[in-house]
Amino acid sequence: MIRHAFAEGLIVLRERAVVSVILAFALGVPIAFAGVGLTLQHWLGPVADLSGQKSSVAVLLHPQMESGERRRWIAEIAIDHPRWTVSEVSSSDLAERLQRWFPYLEDLINSGDAALPSLVEILTDNPDSVTVLEGRAEVLAIGPRSSIQQTLGRVARGLALIVGVVSFVLLAVAVLLAAVWVHLELYRHSDEVIIMRLVGATEGTIRGPFLVAVAIPGLVAGILSVVGSLVTVSGLSQLASALGLSAMSIPASVLAGQLAAGVFLPLLAAVVTLARYAADATEG
Amino acid sequence: MIRLRSVSKEYERRTILDALDLQVDAGEFVFLTGPSGAGKTTLLRMLYAAEHPTEGEVWVAGRRIDEMVRAQLPLLRRKIGVIFQDFKLLRRKTVLENITFVLRIHGIAPREAHRRSMKVLRRLGLQNRQAAFPDALSGGEQQRVAIARALAYQPRLILADEPTGNLDADLASELLSLLCDINYQGATVLVATHDHAILESIPARTLVLHQGQIHYDGMWPP
Repeated sequence: MIRHAFAEGLIVLRERAVVSVILAFALGVPIAFAGVGLTLQHWLGPVADLSGQKSSVAVLLHPQMESGERRRWIAEIAIDHPRWTVSEVSSSDLAERLQRWFPYLEDLINSGDAALPSLVEILTDNPDSVTVLEGRAEVLAIGPRSSIQQTLGRVARGLALIVGVVSFVLLAVAVLLAAVWVHLELYRHSDEVIIMRLVGATEGTIRGPFLVAVAIPGLVAGILSVVGSLVTVSGLSQLASALGLSAMSIPASVLAGQLAAGVFLPLLAAVVTLARYAADATEG
Repeated sequence: MIRLRSVSKEYERRTILDALDLQVDAGEFVFLTGPSGAGKTTLLRMLYAAEHPTEGEVWVAGRRIDEMVRAQLPLLRRKIGVIFQDFKLLRRKTVLENITFVLRIHGIAPREAHRRSMKVLRRLGLQNRQAAFPDALSGGEQQRVAIARALAYQPRLILADEPTGNLDADLASELLSLLCDINYQGATVLVATHDHAILESIPARTLVLHQGQIHYDGMWPP
């Protein structure tokens, strides 16, 4: 039965050589895109992870707050917001930071004449939540709520999501294309299917050639997609290196997945289409 | 080999077969005749399960086929050689391929399938047309290819629907003697025809179908 399926499947392919080549390309392009997409997701992964990291928000307290008062306020805040980690920056640490950021204030800071405000750092996974402290009498100012890493992470995560969705849509289109092709071939061969049934062919014998006829362009599509994604990723990698970013490479699992998708996605589409429509080609 | 019990068939409230009872034993040669529209083709189609009765039971080779599910039909059909009125040849295959194809479906190895196909083609005088496609053949040649295909896998039951319809008198006579040979070797043969000359050429049991019922069952002429 397998030999028969291959022999008849190759006849179908020979009869529809041009359409089969188009089908192989039509399947190969979205699979290659999906491969590149997965590679990009893999590459962007560490950057995207940054968006989920905790960040520290600086809160300046009023300089006239006494140390006891300040400690009570910090304790109260920590109880009200259990997901925050609140810590006070010591006055010597703050003086050192100020001298580093504003060297021209060194004399003023060392003279002890200036009343330095107290700095509190809040470590949180939701920096925007710190805005609840705005307007409180004890709070002088709240520092920037997002870091450059977080912004980069959000962009990377968004990019990875877009690439993933586009890859999924393209693969779905490829599967649909294979299903339509099998449906058309089934329609074109409906007389033969009827005759085969009447002379005692089993469903496996009838459907086998169609599966072979779609699996072979699928395999070609898988190979084309591997070559295409290797070339594309190599180009992207060179671009990334030129921009001083780390190099990209396609994981072996993605390459294997591309080959498997090339064969199995159209096969799956063919199996479903044949199960749905092959029974229609019958007499009585 | 064939048993019908109270078989009726209706199409859009028109009765084609009406409570038909019939028994054909293994090894019999039977003619089925009657005017056009009498139900001959419908009856034959029921015997290879291309048609289901509205009522009644259809038994072929010891199996009740009107209750068979689709997956069981191939095995039944492999026991039956059908010579179709409209030939039902594969247009994209040559004469030889039309026959080897069926043998391959039946699980016969390629070399043996080729040998058997050539043997039956020689028997029907088609050996020189083996590479031709059906559309390049005359009606009579296509009829003979359809016959060759039905005979190639040596079925236990042969159902022939107007098998001489496109053949001249000599070829018709040759075909009948071929069917007689096959019947002599043990196969049951049921031939549907409205050609009286054929009925008179071989002394055989004849069923006359009229308005969906068997009006005569015996040797022809009555």
